[in-house]
Amino acid sequence: MSYSIDHNRLQQFGSLEFLARQVVEGFIVGLHKSPFHGFSVEFAEHRLYNSGESIKHIDWKLFGRTDKLFVKRFEEETNLRCHLVIDNSSSMYFPVLEKLSIDQPNKITFSIYAAAAIMNLLRRQRDAVGLNVFSEQIEFGSAAKSSSVHFKYLYSELEKMLPPIGAEVRRNTLAAEALHHIADTIHKRSLVVIFSDMFQNHGNSEELFSALQHLRHNKHEVILFHVVDKRQELDFEFENRPYRFIDMESGHQIKVNPLEVKADYSRAVNAFKSELKLKCGQYRIDFVEADINAGFEQVLLPYLLKREKLH
Amino acid sequence: MALEITDANFQELVLNSDKPVILDFWAEWCGPCRMVGPVVEEIGREYTGKVVVGKLNVDHNPEVTRKFGIRNIPTLLFFKNGNVVDKQVGAVAKQVIVGKLQGHL
Repeated sequence: MSYSIDHNRLQQFGSLEFLARQVVEGFIVGLHKSPFHGFSVEFAEHRLYNSGESIKHIDWKLFGRTDKLFVKRFEEETNLRCHLVIDNSSSMYFPVLEKLSIDQPNKITFSIYAAAAIMNLLRRQRDAVGLNVFSEQIEFGSAAKSSSVHFKYLYSELEKMLPPIGAEVRRNTLAAEALHHIADTIHKRSLVVIFSDMFQNHGNSEELFSALQHLRHNKHEVILFHVVDKRQELDFEFENRPYRFIDMESGHQIKVNPLEVKADYSRAVNAFKSELKLKCGQYRIDFVEADINAGFEQVLLPYLLKREKLH
Repeated sequence: MALEITDANFQELVLNSDKPVILDFWAEWCGPCRMVGPVVEEIGREYTGKVVVGKLNVDHNPEVTRKFGIRNIPTLLFFKNGNVVDKQVGAVAKQVIVGKLQGHL
């Protein structure tokens, strides 16, 4: 069976715009606000000419009419550099299903489709997109570019992650290291969209939060899609019979009756989730709860509409 | 309708006003001022009774313009109890101006 992205499913966000909420530093003229005052598109104000300043931006027509020396200042608009960051650790291949499709996805399939849909939107806006895939280390990293060859390359890289991995493959999550690395390497004032379940088995959550803070410190706008299978991972809905649970990242096994641990498990997992949410709120990171059973359209569409309203 | 503020009536209408005042510094020849002008007047209509909205032509009223060091137009100054409490330079969207105004009501 071949695994590929169904591009028809990505088209339905066609009329939406995906704009950066804060100023970004791009390299061509685009839709997003730039931190620089340029001399290009949107005429914003007249400023009194200071002697000694370059004369090339003087409004000469005005000088001709009124003998006043004023400089024209424009609001510069630029394009966006967006980095999609996908967690490719073993836990993202949960739940293990016989037949994977976008209607019946595991977490990685969901993330790939959502990322591809965002990529599609940005591609239409001529924004630059980069992709970073990490598990124990950065598995794939590309610079943000906006050429169509680059987009094809990224789609093919995304498709490579679609096939399920064998049960014996153990890829841990080292999200904190990966995010620190990404924060250091990408151009500042980018948009960083992270797809991860945020399940770490090394280190504590403090490291993870400091990595998220690092991203914000470099003036990136960060959106975190917390990808979970709500039914099984958060609500812990299993039948009342003994199960053998296997940690997909370490291979550690445990035999347990779900009902016995349900209360404790839910408490722990909800505490982690609310802490994550709280920290994201503090660092002004957009936290999006993404339940894979809801379908990627149902998660992405309300979020994009909400963003559109904010502009 | 926005009040026409001049060097002569500035003290009375702006500094002595018991309501917050938005004062728009503009000139006839300035394109961006013509974009901001209607927006400011619209805000004046929406906040009738709560805010005083005035327009001051920088060409005809050099005294006030110099006093507040206005070098860029359009500039909006927000006055409260005779003091400048906020400033907005350049043509911006209506919600930016309203956002600043809300903080001083």
